[in-house]
Amino acid sequence: MASGYPPSLEGPVEVKEGFLCPLCLKDLQSFYQLQDHYEEEHSEDVRHVPGQLKSLVQKVKKAKDKLLKQDGDDRNESSYESFYCGGVDPYMWEPQELGATRSHLDIFKKHRAARIDHYVIEANKRIIRLEKLTSFDRTNMDAGKIRAMEKSVVSWVNDSDVPFCPDCGGKFNIRNRRHHCRLCGSIMCSKCMEFIPLPVAYKLTSGTREALCVPAGSPGQTQPPGAAGPAGQPASRRGSITSLSSVSSVLEEKDDDRIRCCRHCMDALLKQQEKLEEKDHVPDIVKLYEKLRLCMDQVNKKAPEYIRMAESLNAGETAYNLDIAGGLRTEVQKYYELIDALSKKILTLGMKEDPQPHPKTLQLQRMVRYTATLFIQEKLLGLMSLPTKEKYEELKEKWKEEQERRLQQERQAASEAQKRRSELEKNRPRLAANGDARPARITKGVGWLPSSDAVHRGGGELDDPLLQQISNIESFLRQARAAGRLDEVATLEDNLRQLLDEYDLQQTSHAILLSQQLAQEESLQQEPRQRSRNPGFAVQGGEDGDDDDEEQQRDVRSKHSESPKMQTLAIKSFPPLGESPPTTDAPSLNPFDEEDSTPLEEERSNPFTEEIQKEQASATPRDKREYNPFEEEEDASTWEVGANPFEEDDDDDEEDDDEFGTGNPFQEGPGHAHTASTNPFDDDNDASVSYEVIEEELLLQQIDNIRAYIFDAKRSGRSDEVELLAENLRDLQRTLQEQKRKPR
Amino acid sequence: MNVTLAVKQYVSKMIENSGPGMKVLLMDKETTSIVSVVYTQSEILQKEVYLFERIDSQNRDSMKHLKAICFLRPTKENVENLIQELRRPKYSVYFIYFSNVISKSEIKALAEADEQEVVAEVQEFYGDFVALNPHLFSLNLQGVSRGRSWEPSILPRATQGLTSVLLALKKCPMIRYQLSSDMSKRLAECVKQIITKEYELFDFRKTEVPPLLLILDRSDDAITPLLNQWTYQAMVHELLGLNNNRIDLSRVPGISKDLREVVLSAENDEFYANNLYLNFGEIGTNIKNLMEDFQKKKPKGQQKLESISDMKAFVDNYPQFKKMSGTVSKHVTVVGELSRLVSERCLMEVSEVEQELACQNDHSNAQQNVRRLLQNPRLAEVDAVRLVMLYALRYERHSNSILPSLLDELQRKGVSERYRKMVQSMVEYGGKRVRGSDLITPTDAVAITKQFFKGLKGVENVYAQHQPLLHETLDQLIKGKLKDSQFPYLGPNALRDRPQDIIVFMIGGATYEEALTVYNLNRTMPGVRIVLGGTTIHNTKSFLEEVTLAAGGTHGSGRHSNRH
Repeated sequence: MASGYPPSLEGPVEVKEGFLCPLCLKDLQSFYQLQDHYEEEHSEDVRHVPGQLKSLVQKVKKAKDKLLKQDGDDRNESSYESFYCGGVDPYMWEPQELGATRSHLDIFKKHRAARIDHYVIEANKRIIRLEKLTSFDRTNMDAGKIRAMEKSVVSWVNDSDVPFCPDCGGKFNIRNRRHHCRLCGSIMCSKCMEFIPLPVAYKLTSGTREALCVPAGSPGQTQPPGAAGPAGQPASRRGSITSLSSVSSVLEEKDDDRIRCCRHCMDALLKQQEKLEEKDHVPDIVKLYEKLRLCMDQVNKKAPEYIRMAESLNAGETAYNLDIAGGLRTEVQKYYELIDALSKKILTLGMKEDPQPHPKTLQLQRMVRYTATLFIQEKLLGLMSLPTKEKYEELKEKWKEEQERRLQQERQAASEAQKRRSELEKNRPRLAANGDARPARITKGVGWLPSSDAVHRGGGELDDPLLQQISNIESFLRQARAAGRLDEVATLEDNLRQLLDEYDLQQTSHAILLSQQLAQEESLQQEPRQRSRNPGFAVQGGEDGDDDDEEQQRDVRSKHSESPKMQTLAIKSFPPLGESPPTTDAPSLNPFDEEDSTPLEEERSNPFTEEIQKEQASATPRDKREYNPFEEEEDASTWEVGANPFEEDDDDDEEDDDEFGTGNPFQEGPGHAHTASTNPFDDDNDASVSYEVIEEELLLQQIDNIRAYIFDAKRSGRSDEVELLAENLRDLQRTLQEQKRKPR
Repeated sequence: MNVTLAVKQYVSKMIENSGPGMKVLLMDKETTSIVSVVYTQSEILQKEVYLFERIDSQNRDSMKHLKAICFLRPTKENVENLIQELRRPKYSVYFIYFSNVISKSEIKALAEADEQEVVAEVQEFYGDFVALNPHLFSLNLQGVSRGRSWEPSILPRATQGLTSVLLALKKCPMIRYQLSSDMSKRLAECVKQIITKEYELFDFRKTEVPPLLLILDRSDDAITPLLNQWTYQAMVHELLGLNNNRIDLSRVPGISKDLREVVLSAENDEFYANNLYLNFGEIGTNIKNLMEDFQKKKPKGQQKLESISDMKAFVDNYPQFKKMSGTVSKHVTVVGELSRLVSERCLMEVSEVEQELACQNDHSNAQQNVRRLLQNPRLAEVDAVRLVMLYALRYERHSNSILPSLLDELQRKGVSERYRKMVQSMVEYGGKRVRGSDLITPTDAVAITKQFFKGLKGVENVYAQHQPLLHETLDQLIKGKLKDSQFPYLGPNALRDRPQDIIVFMIGGATYEEALTVYNLNRTMPGVRIVLGGTTIHNTKSFLEEVTLAAGGTHGSGRHSNRH
């Protein structure tokens, strides 16, 4: 799943210098991708598989949302978008769990155990008796003695009780005499009688014998013949029915190399024997087959490794050694040959023997061979070849050139971005000076996002190591996750996607900040005098300082949005800045209410500011609730959900800007009405501004909350609710815009 | 809600449970179809299952080095066979899976037969249906009705099949049924009974909107299965006959040996997956592209591998090449055969008239067209009959009906009596007297006007005007407008929200045209997932048999009409 997803967008061949993954040293194209990559690839240890699955599902859903909103050039999502056109193709239905099952093994075992106990006891008895029957020297003993011995093992059924053979139903008479099974004592006729050859009997009892007669030496002689004292018994042998026939039968029946028994006992014994034989016997096919599987496993392990090497080498990279790869190739090929040979051997097993094996056996062999061929076809023929030494040198050169070129391009891009930015800065004041602030703002909003990208790109080349920051963010986020795991917040925090979203929000607020800041700058220019009132503003006044000033702020902010550590810094440095807006005349554009909210969200992922977060968490929901029509749905996680913006954020913001001009009369609540009515130009009162700041913050939170609900609703498929919420959201956003605009 | 995946997962789980080593899959006739539809041989071979055996096959050798996976329906014969098998086990270990609920007493009998302790697993895995597409399943049951009620032996099987779908998808649905059909009600009740009895099994996580099971009767729409089809899957079934996603091409003139029977499975055949629902014209283009692709990929020197690089390229491409060559020859053959049949049987013309009969409301035009076509000597028997049937169903109550003369025409044409009788059976099966819904005539003025304008504008595709009744029904259902008076709920509870997960079951068989409709609804309706099932999947031929079988019972058993 997740692992299949990154390569497609990372484009492993394209390499940039600045965006190396700190863990696997993989080169990523941009900051976004690196972040994606990092979260996808290196957070598995934190997240368990179901979590990933969930996130995948969410991704798919988000992609859908995106499509419906008709925007987003984010490459990550685009790969999913093509699936959607309203509903879902059944082939794309989400993965589902295994259907219902029910096990009967327990009652099966219970019934079987009851049965088996009986069966096992019988079987054991039979073996013990057999052991006794074979424990004396039959050949040197006269028939009578043997008979006596045999009778002592099991009590024989009375002849008179059985007038007919129980197996075939034949009547017993002088001709058709009774015979006793030596193992169970039952009676049958001669036709139904079976014999156990002594060797078989020995074999069957070998296990028991050892167990029973440990101290004695050879099993055959353990019981000295006659030790059981049979001599005293012969007279009573057959009681009253002693007759000629029985005497003659005794004479006939001297079995010195076999033991007579009934069919049932014989059956059971044979089965037992079969089992014994199977236990030790491993057929050739199994031996060969095991070897075959071993080779296949090896190939499965080694082939991907080789392919990775070969790909890299063929691209001219220097990560692997050509010789080693060559060695691996031969090794893999050797395995293929082995597989081929083994499967051929399996195919021809027993073919030369006279009674040809059972057709099913042959079929089995054919199928094994067929599978092996399929395996080879699929895997071996996919093995690419390695470049020759000369070719490799060539490739290496090419690759180097490529690298150089790319580096060059990157630098160029960065410098261009730089240029663009400075141009933008130059342009901006002019626009503002032109008077109409509204259209100017729109252009800013639209024009800003790409250049924010450029800042990041530039950042990659600056001495400030971006990588460090990213990993910082990552580790902080993870720590926060670990710390927050106790509350319900954590489950959401745990979510891969939402991390990205958080980042999105950073970007968004970053963008807002910058645009607002620019706007502020304009106003600053308009009212340069007022700045002197600002005690905290460290930067010197005067027109010439503006550029530096902005540069600095921008720097601080770009860092702040990237690193929680920097963030704390930013928080510290912002309040003084934050006091400046009241002195300006554009409170609705006030970047600092935004700023206030942004750091809040940042802090959540920052372990160091957890306390603040808690404070706010306890404080805000109360306020929020007044505005929240869905408060019954609220739970502990709301805060987090609310804080976690959804990927629409970026787009929403653009949308916001787009919608900016349309205007919306919708008034959300008393608070907003208040702000709306506040004329910033009249307003020199610090207190009222700070109040307003809170209102806007709440509004923003509310927006976030609604987004969370939308997300939630989408996830559980309540589409009508989604619509309703989306409506709500749009209204809120418009209100927000309105509010920001009006004071102007 | 993906039935194919559900069965596949069951099978994989079975194989997985048995661990490594050579395995044999022991099945019965039905489970063989169930498994073979979702798994190809090479796929299952890769999981070390090398032999596929029938439990009732006598020709099985003892192979103690194999593990046996038994996937069986819990029938009496199967249990008996299994008992015999366990008494004298041929394999080393047995993993037993029943495709449906099995009784405790049968478990006991099996346990007592297992004296050698070879059984390692006994479970119920509810894959008791044939999953043809992710959203389409069949029970492969023909002749389900006697007159207007269930053939007694079929009802329990249908109940089992339907409940197993619910279990495999983990749905405990609310049930709606078609009031005009007694059979629907009976089946609904039987399913409900099982759900109540096995309430522990059906104890799934509750969803906000409970899933819905809608049970319909084929007799409400006897027209759809009579129409010629023009989308790939439906057309193949109509003209060549799809049986568990396999086509028998042995009757195709000059067919090569390895194409006698081909498998059309969207799971493993990319071309088929992409073209399953496209119409014949589009497929023609696509197959041409496929051929061109193939030509390109086909190593130039297949006859003459001249240079080493040629050979290398050949080897590099070989697996794909081989796979592709199989695909190409298969689809070229199939499409070729389809177009041969189309021209041989004048199916374009036939279909045009069929569509007109089904969708337009112009009696004089219709009767002229039907008459004209019946004169055509190239018209196949079955096509002639279906035209007359469509006419009979469509203008059953028309004052100027020319049905008798059309029947005479059929006789003159030399159509067998068996077929001619079917016309009457068809009207009895799906005529107006039986139907609960408005199948044919748009009665209100708006609909007629719409029809009129449609006629003026000309239709985009004359061969695809028809929309099965199911489309309308489902559309209403999704919008929450399906009338309770026609499709009541079983039990006191009704769904308050619009349904999201819907399982539709068609007694008397669904069609691939309806499968396409459901597929399109799934694709266009956000948040709705529909699975269609039928006692079987019909083409015209099988549908005619079904109707004949149903009619056959009419004389014996007293038929009770359930008109309301």
